[in-house]
Amino acid sequence: MLLIAISLLVLFPLVLTVSTAFKTSEDVKVNPFGLFSSFSTENLVTAWTVGEFGKYVVNSLLLTVPSTALVVVLSTMGGYAFARLPFPGRGIAFYLVILGLLVPFFTYMIPLYFQLRSMRLLDTLLGVNLVLASTGLAFGTFFMRAFFLDLPNELDQSARLDGASELQIFLRVMLPLVLPGVGALTVFTFLQNWNNFLVPLLYLPTAQYRPLTTGLYLFLGGRSVDIGPLAAGTLITILPVMVLYVALQKHVTQGFLSGAVKG
Amino acid sequence: MYYVFVDFDGLDPSPPWVGFSNFTELAADPDVWAAFKNNVIWIVGGTISPLVLGLGLALLVWKLERGSVWYRMAFFLPYVLPPVAIGVVWSWIYEPSRGWLNRALEAVGLGSWTTGWLGNPSTALYAVLGTAIWAAMGFVFVIILAALRNVNADLVDASRLDGANAAQRLRYVILPQIMPVFIMVATLTLIGGFSVFDIIFVMTGGGPAGATDVLGTYAYKSAFQLNRISYGTTLALIITVMAVPFAIVMNRLQRKLSLQGMGA
Repeated sequence: MLLIAISLLVLFPLVLTVSTAFKTSEDVKVNPFGLFSSFSTENLVTAWTVGEFGKYVVNSLLLTVPSTALVVVLSTMGGYAFARLPFPGRGIAFYLVILGLLVPFFTYMIPLYFQLRSMRLLDTLLGVNLVLASTGLAFGTFFMRAFFLDLPNELDQSARLDGASELQIFLRVMLPLVLPGVGALTVFTFLQNWNNFLVPLLYLPTAQYRPLTTGLYLFLGGRSVDIGPLAAGTLITILPVMVLYVALQKHVTQGFLSGAVKG
Repeated sequence: MYYVFVDFDGLDPSPPWVGFSNFTELAADPDVWAAFKNNVIWIVGGTISPLVLGLGLALLVWKLERGSVWYRMAFFLPYVLPPVAIGVVWSWIYEPSRGWLNRALEAVGLGSWTTGWLGNPSTALYAVLGTAIWAAMGFVFVIILAALRNVNADLVDASRLDGANAAQRLRYVILPQIMPVFIMVATLTLIGGFSVFDIIFVMTGGGPAGATDVLGTYAYKSAFQLNRISYGTTLALIITVMAVPFAIVMNRLQRKLSLQGMGA
């Protein structure tokens, strides 16, 4: 009983968001923060059209999907190289990756702004995708390396004896065995990039490619009185995350778990 | 690094060299110290509270036969939501006249406690911190719950037969077994505390009057709102220099403990 009460209390802010998003505007005026006593989709329509949340959804996808793909592909290959291939300078290179994990984004966020500006990547999809990918790569490589390290040595040795090329060993033998790790990394990176607020805020100064997170923030500043559309915008922002999370609940928590334990 | 030793405003292509004056100004800036103090409160409160709450919840769910999937889902969900959205929703809860927190306080006869949580300089930081704890708790919960699954149940039962009470069982039987994981979660939460930004930025923007500014928001303001690029960079560097030793110490501690834990 106690636990049910606590879990409902924890979920209460979400209930509030949903209920406010579906109120009529009169209901919002009379009772801005109460639970809904009316039902209407006008807030959602307002947020989608006037608030430009439809455009933000597209932008969020354009910023999240390529950067996530980049992180997953490069980290998997990098993790494999660090775990299984003896190459000169591996130790030093790996320490550099660890350094990338330790140094927080704050340290280089300001110089990075001017670097992007001089490379003409400021305010572009490519620039922000690259920044998001590079911030995720250190963790991704570290994470995938742990999965590849767990595989037995006999596996690639026997494949090599059978005449498989290095690429075949990687793609046909090793990769299928670390797919759970790849899946976890994909979900993890997708959520991180989707939720990222500071990177698009800093490096996408104009409205053209603004994603949901910064869009919501600026919507908040622009029309702080209109609670209804704001709630609808919030709902649009969190809905993809919630759907993904509820559908893949087990894998998400499992992924975070192995990420924390291995990482 | 270069920006640290010059006075760059974002436009001047050859900014004047100023040596260490960014550092000396920083040390004398009362706003920096106020932000630093807030950072310390944030790190201490924002690490201990989710740890205690997450551990408590995990212990409650641990022995449950049914429904543990539901609790994992409910408690972890806030952790995956975008901090911006969390900030927006919690601002409604803290709203002074009709927000849920004040209404709840009035309903239980504590009407004199009501205040504009985010507008009052003495409560704003703790209000935002409360929101962050709500979001971080689920992470601790899920990790600790997984660690508890590996705890030797026979030992717990044996200690109960030996007459150990609940607190003693936790202190002497359960905690030592999950210590490596516990330290690891503590490290991750602690490091998160150094780089806090989103939630404060969205809920209060560092206000009222700097009451919720942390080093991160102050660095952002210096660089991008006041065009004091170099000053902001110097601040950011300070945050890093402070965070790294913590990370290393905790990492060492964890490695040592996990070796003991594995019986190696």
